[in-house]
Amino acid sequence: MNRRCLLALALLLIVAAQASAAPGDGIPGDADGDRVLTPAEYTAAALTYLDAAYMGGAGELTRTDIQDAAWISACWDGRPREVTDSSGRTVTLYRPLRRVVTFNGEALETLRSLGFDMEKVVAVDKYSKEKSTFFPECREKANVGSIWSPDMEKVLAVRPDAVFLYATISTAACDDIQRKLEASSPGIRVFRFDCFKPATYPREIRTIASMAGKSERGDEFASFYTSTMDRVRDGTAGVPADERVRVYFEYWFDYKTVAAGSGYNEKLELAGGMNPFAGETAEYPIIDPEAVIVTDPEVVVKLAGQGLAFGGYAGHDIAALEGIRTALAQRPGWTSIAAVEDNRIYVIHSDILGGAQHFIGTAYLAKWFYPDRFADLDPHAIHQRYLTGFQGIDFDLASEGTFVYP
Amino acid sequence: MSLPANHLLCIALLLMVVPAAACASPVTRSLSTAEPGAGEVFTVSLSIEGMTLGGVVETLPAGYAFVATDLADDRVLARGQQVAFAVMNDSRITYQVRAPASGSGDITGRWEDFLGESDGQVAASHVAADGIEAPVESGGGDPVPPPSQETGSPFAVLAAVAALLLASGRGGRR
Repeated sequence: MNRRCLLALALLLIVAAQASAAPGDGIPGDADGDRVLTPAEYTAAALTYLDAAYMGGAGELTRTDIQDAAWISACWDGRPREVTDSSGRTVTLYRPLRRVVTFNGEALETLRSLGFDMEKVVAVDKYSKEKSTFFPECREKANVGSIWSPDMEKVLAVRPDAVFLYATISTAACDDIQRKLEASSPGIRVFRFDCFKPATYPREIRTIASMAGKSERGDEFASFYTSTMDRVRDGTAGVPADERVRVYFEYWFDYKTVAAGSGYNEKLELAGGMNPFAGETAEYPIIDPEAVIVTDPEVVVKLAGQGLAFGGYAGHDIAALEGIRTALAQRPGWTSIAAVEDNRIYVIHSDILGGAQHFIGTAYLAKWFYPDRFADLDPHAIHQRYLTGFQGIDFDLASEGTFVYP
Repeated sequence: MSLPANHLLCIALLLMVVPAAACASPVTRSLSTAEPGAGEVFTVSLSIEGMTLGGVVETLPAGYAFVATDLADDRVLARGQQVAFAVMNDSRITYQVRAPASGSGDITGRWEDFLGESDGQVAASHVAADGIEAPVESGGGDPVPPPSQETGSPFAVLAAVAALLLASGRGGRR
């Protein structure tokens, strides 16, 4: 065996040894086993650890044990944390999260909003990994694929203590992943959150914050989020149903729109829009081009993103979004519709309307639909504050990315 | 398998420099006197910054004896020449030490920030009874080296492995 092989073997042994301590149930240092780490028990545990680590004493607490005990004492008041996720399932945590895998990019983003130590995210879904501008710290993390094509071997190889999956979308795929994980490694805690739905996001923020020991930050972020959404709701509350702005919302693909049940329709209606195609059977129906002209929308909103790959965090390409808008206005028969006559065609990128950032896009919609009611609403400033104050990324909207036009 | 001296030096430097650079010490020590009289009790003060929950282990020179501390009894453990303190939001911990009839040496220390997940050394403080540099009269307990295995800094481990691989690769091209 040559020197390189020996060194590689040594490295593997080091990594394996460092990773071998799998935490079980019970709080480390809870001497009487009553599931509460009292200050006295914590102090005794700290001294026992220091004695064993530095003074030649006996004791079985590892460095990870005492770090976890300190964390639980400081963040969870010495008690295990019961977490009820968005699937309604309750899981009890006896240790802080140390090795997290996310299949849900929105949950990953929420963890970062909460100031979670991203070093403790050991693997992410392939889409988050591809978003290297927005998640630069994920470039080197393991890729566990997607919920539809998960790399279960990779998941198990990174030895997670927690895995985040979606709660209410793609439930069959997520249920399958959860079953496999729980069958192969009962120590893995599976959490189901969506993190993109206005109805549940504030509660999810606080729940995840509580798990991460970031309750104060969770309150701050939830207030920031809620203040924007409440501003939109309050601003449109007084608009009678028959006076709501008629909006044609077009998905990435031509004449593919949204209907009731889709997330985009929910945000459109939150912003006070009236979707003439809300009653279609499919969530994302393809409609007859003539139908758009017949409904005579007052506002047209076109979605850019994955299927119409311009703008977003990855590209500062205003001309591309402008081109999309121009092409819409030139569609056959559209010159007579109100939105074109009044120059109320807008392009928005799914980065700020479809995921955890939906509150930013919703603010834009509200401002477009009711410019007088939302004259003081500044979605651009909200967006920048989110990036700088909560995401903690160095991204200047003045010179980077393109999210709306005009 | 042997490595050239310059490679070994490189590894040693990495092991020393990387952990030190990774975290500045939140614990500093001061003494009421560095030249206590024979048998005199003097005070050692540890100033602690930014450590919510953690620990400090002090090692006294042989012949010097721990006397008391301002911390509650259940937050202190003395064994031989070593004293452990459980740090809980403390900005200052003081303790008293009795000097021997003669003898000099260093008070050394290690700290760990359990929440911050970092650790390091407290800079040594030299003491000499009556100001006279003299060998200790009786042996004290040897300080136990800092914990290894999982307690080893990942920076140090990675740096060492990287240095070894680098050294190995460079050697192989010759």
